[in-house]
Amino acid sequence: MKRILASVTDGKGFDIGLVLLPLAFLFIMSGLPLVYNVVMSFQEVDMFSLGSFVRPFVGFKNYVDLFSQPETRPILLNTALFVSSSIAGQFLIGFGLALFFWMNFPGASWLRGLFLVSWVMPGLVVGAIWNWILSGDFGVLNFLLRETGVIEGNIFWRSDPNYSLWAVIIANIWLGTSFNMILLSVGLSGIPKDLYEAAELDGANALQRFFTITLPMMRSTIGAIIALGLIFTLQQFDLFAGITSGGPNNSSNVTQYWAWDLSFRQYDFAKGATISVIMIVFVMLASVVYVRSTRHEVRG
Amino acid sequence: MGIRRYAILGAFALASVSLPAFSASAEDVTISVWSLDRDIQPAPNLIKDFNKLNTGIKVEYRQIQFDDVVSEAMRAYSTGQAPDIIAVDNPEHALFSSRGAFLDLTDMIAKSSVVKTENYFPGPLASVTWEGKYYGIPKATNTIALYYNKDMFKAKGLDPEKPPQTWNELLEAARKLTDPAANVYGLAFSAKANEEGTFQFLPWAQMAGGGYDKINSEGAVKALDIWKRILDEKLASPDTLTRGQWDSTGTFNSGNAAMAISGPWELDRMIQEAKFDWGVTLLPVPEVGAERSSAMGDFNWAIFASSEHPEEAFKVLEYFVSQDDRMFKDFGQLPARSDIAIPPTGEPKKDAALKVFVEQLKYAKPRGPHPEWPKISKAIQDAIQAALTGQMSSKEALDQAAEKIKAVLG
Repeated sequence: MKRILASVTDGKGFDIGLVLLPLAFLFIMSGLPLVYNVVMSFQEVDMFSLGSFVRPFVGFKNYVDLFSQPETRPILLNTALFVSSSIAGQFLIGFGLALFFWMNFPGASWLRGLFLVSWVMPGLVVGAIWNWILSGDFGVLNFLLRETGVIEGNIFWRSDPNYSLWAVIIANIWLGTSFNMILLSVGLSGIPKDLYEAAELDGANALQRFFTITLPMMRSTIGAIIALGLIFTLQQFDLFAGITSGGPNNSSNVTQYWAWDLSFRQYDFAKGATISVIMIVFVMLASVVYVRSTRHEVRG
Repeated sequence: MGIRRYAILGAFALASVSLPAFSASAEDVTISVWSLDRDIQPAPNLIKDFNKLNTGIKVEYRQIQFDDVVSEAMRAYSTGQAPDIIAVDNPEHALFSSRGAFLDLTDMIAKSSVVKTENYFPGPLASVTWEGKYYGIPKATNTIALYYNKDMFKAKGLDPEKPPQTWNELLEAARKLTDPAANVYGLAFSAKANEEGTFQFLPWAQMAGGGYDKINSEGAVKALDIWKRILDEKLASPDTLTRGQWDSTGTFNSGNAAMAISGPWELDRMIQEAKFDWGVTLLPVPEVGAERSSAMGDFNWAIFASSEHPEEAFKVLEYFVSQDDRMFKDFGQLPARSDIAIPPTGEPKKDAALKVFVEQLKYAKPRGPHPEWPKISKAIQDAIQAALTGQMSSKEALDQAAEKIKAVLG
């Protein structure tokens, strides 16, 4: 008895306790809903059976139905395009800005702080504002492009199926860039200055310094940011609701918006859950890649 | 349904224990009401007035958000915590009544001296009906008609007292009124991929002999073809595809569209914003003498089948109905009744417009009623958008929609 008590206060039992507590929390807050969601995707669910857990089991019917719908493929492709373009745009512009402000000119930290304003704004507000900017007839973006001679006629960003997804991507890049910039700035300031001094003495030019010092030293930061970016873009819902509502004709629809539309507009909860399960699979794959790529750094 | 059964059993147990105690002390019966009305809208005000009457019934009010009405109500009902009375959007009504979630009010209405079915417009009444029985009472109603800018009509040589009456006249007028140099489109409407798109398109299909159950009929295809021509000829903004009715009509108010299809909810804003002379006319029909039709919006009252005090709840509804004549005067909403005249507002443009809307209401048809309306509506929205973006012909798109709808209708 005394041994067990001793182990709990100081020893293996304490360690296990430390692990179990967050695990239990994780299981209750995320694990259970996840399991519930997966179970729901194998059931026949409607509004009236929402309150109970015991529902008719239908096997893979929801999955088969979902993949036989003509819109499924384009929506999955849209999601892939949205996620990859958004992350690429946010990361590249964010990294560029972070490097720019790293030069530490007067007022750099102030300006950097101001950039965060875009991150602080609620997604729906951002969506509404971009909705105006991207408006076809009176939008500011069209006005600028027209005045600078880039385009002849107005581009109907929200209503032309060729542009609608890009309209949301542009807005999302704007929204996420500052967050990328801040995290990357933190990563940059963590790189010891003497490394650069030594490299400079050895005659490395700016480009060489960037590729041999900055990038390798930033590896874990970049991995974390890309993983976070994936999560944030897969969560991005407000911009779709605010700008295109997934239209026209699903040309800007993505899985996360579609899942909501199926569940809460068409009350087809089973299919909504099915899409979520597919998304979970993708996020799991991405997080495995993330954990593997940063494992080296984490252990130091 | 396990939880629900226990909840109901529990409720019965509770009721049987507490009932004698209640009657002994003549305690008030409490009726809970859920709706999306804000403090300046009917429900909370009518409830306040009702509670002042001290009828032995106490009404509690809870406001819910538009997007949450159905999901919230469903969750509450399936866990046995539903309110006694709720206001639901009319196309959602059948979802509840078909499953027995709403109380059948047919007998109570037959006995009632306040609620008389013959007083209501046919459209709203049809939306509370399921298999010949009444599962609710229309709360208010609205519909859509054609707004037009009289000043622009004059400027382009059109007679402002003779607005377009047929689809061809509408196209003609839109062509004449469209003026890209001045940033003016002939027409503003909404073909958005949500309920608004269905709301705006169905009347056109219905006027031409189509309907949600025959969406690929010749008339409906013709209607969608006209829509497509309006967009292809740039008589309406391409943003029609992603813009709701409120934003579309905003371009009419700012003078960037010469005509607009929308409802009476626009009137107050238009009076304030539109700096020109405007009028309203009935929705144009396919050809002279064709059947008229229009959309029908707004909410219905219903009593949940799980209510422990259905009699009292109905009394509350009777009170609401008895106050229908205040609906427009105090809250600016149109009562769903043909026996109540809309009092003049003293604003000539508004009064003239209201006359047209009340006339249009006679032809307003409900969407459905069908318990799986959202799926039917989604099929129609997809067809509209597929055709208007040029990805399918109107016929193909509507054929596909008809197939999807057939699967839903069974």
